[in-house]
Amino acid sequence: MSRASVSKVSKVSGGSGGSDAAEVSEVSEVSKASEKALARSYRSERALTFGAGALVLGASCVALAVGFGWLGTVRARRPVLDPIAVDWLAAHAVPARVAAIVAGLLLCAGGLGWLARSLRPEGRPDLRLDRAVGHELTVAAGALADAVRADAEAVDGVARARARAVGSAERPALRLDVTLRDGADLRRVWPDLDERVLARARESLGLEVLPAAVRLDTGTANRRRGR
Amino acid sequence: MRILVRLLSTLLALAAAAAGALLALEVAWQWWRPGSAPLLVPWPAWQAALAGVRWDSTATRLAAALTALGGLLLVLAAAAARHRTVRLREPAPGVSGTLTPRALARLVGTHVRAREDVAAATVTASATRVRVRVTGARDAGAELAPDVTEAVSTVLSGLPLARTPRLSVAVEPSGERR
Repeated sequence: MSRASVSKVSKVSGGSGGSDAAEVSEVSEVSKASEKALARSYRSERALTFGAGALVLGASCVALAVGFGWLGTVRARRPVLDPIAVDWLAAHAVPARVAAIVAGLLLCAGGLGWLARSLRPEGRPDLRLDRAVGHELTVAAGALADAVRADAEAVDGVARARARAVGSAERPALRLDVTLRDGADLRRVWPDLDERVLARARESLGLEVLPAAVRLDTGTANRRRGR
Repeated sequence: MRILVRLLSTLLALAAAAAGALLALEVAWQWWRPGSAPLLVPWPAWQAALAGVRWDSTATRLAAALTALGGLLLVLAAAAARHRTVRLREPAPGVSGTLTPRALARLVGTHVRAREDVAAATVTASATRVRVRVTGARDAGAELAPDVTEAVSTVLSGLPLARTPRLSVAVEPSGERR
């Protein structure tokens, strides 16, 4: 009897712990999605540019070290295309050629993939509210953006607003660019944007969560005075 | 800087793809038909030129130094192309926000300039730091710097910023006094 109750208690606590963890991970996932919506990510572009620069820098530093004789004065006096290296390559011609061809193909494929990634435009997904067959309901990205924009521009302190859908079709998010009026009170505008604009968007779409990112700026008219 | 890195990244991608394709093509062609060796790139001429240049020659050193400079510029451009926005507190889960540093500087500047004892003010802001330089009005007291510091910290703590930036206030001599 007592054993049964103990096992029951442990089961209950285990169950609630699990759902708590699920909730927490869901919240952090939504936060992550809204953070990702803040701006298009250039992380890979930056990393690749940094890596290419570091590679070039490192290789030319080694070349400089050789040139100044820090890696041996005899080596510094030898030609750049060293006959020893050429002879070694000639002795291993087949593996060297295969390696060169494979490296060339990999470089080409990697470069093309990188290029496609750099040039790909940022998506404007439509919002699929209902995916059930026969009941499909889709809100076009443009319609959503217009509705949210009108709501945002009605908030006191907002001069202009622009909204767009970002992310993927599976995980759409909303990005709102807001230009504040001169002398707008951020302490009021910021909660207002959530309570009146985003909450209304969620409500009218019937969504529990809609990851959203708001980017606030002041107008550019009097830029010099602002600094 | 972000636009520059996007452009650089695209150009580097093109260069890598082209270089890889040419390398594979030339090596394969030379293997298949050694007689008619250079297909597109005059690499036998390059080979002869490189065989005649020593590592310690000025040309080699200069070329290496210039290449190193180019690599350094790439690294610096990539490092500088980060977000400079100021994060705001999330009013609800799933809502994130940013403020431009310019907007933060303006918000602070509006408050500082509204004070009676301030004749002029310059504010620069980032996510981690707000710098205020004020010129006192003629009737400003000696307590101008602490007063402005206190007022601005009140403003900053009232804003929904994710982290409160450090504040530094400097008073510049007005010139009219004395």
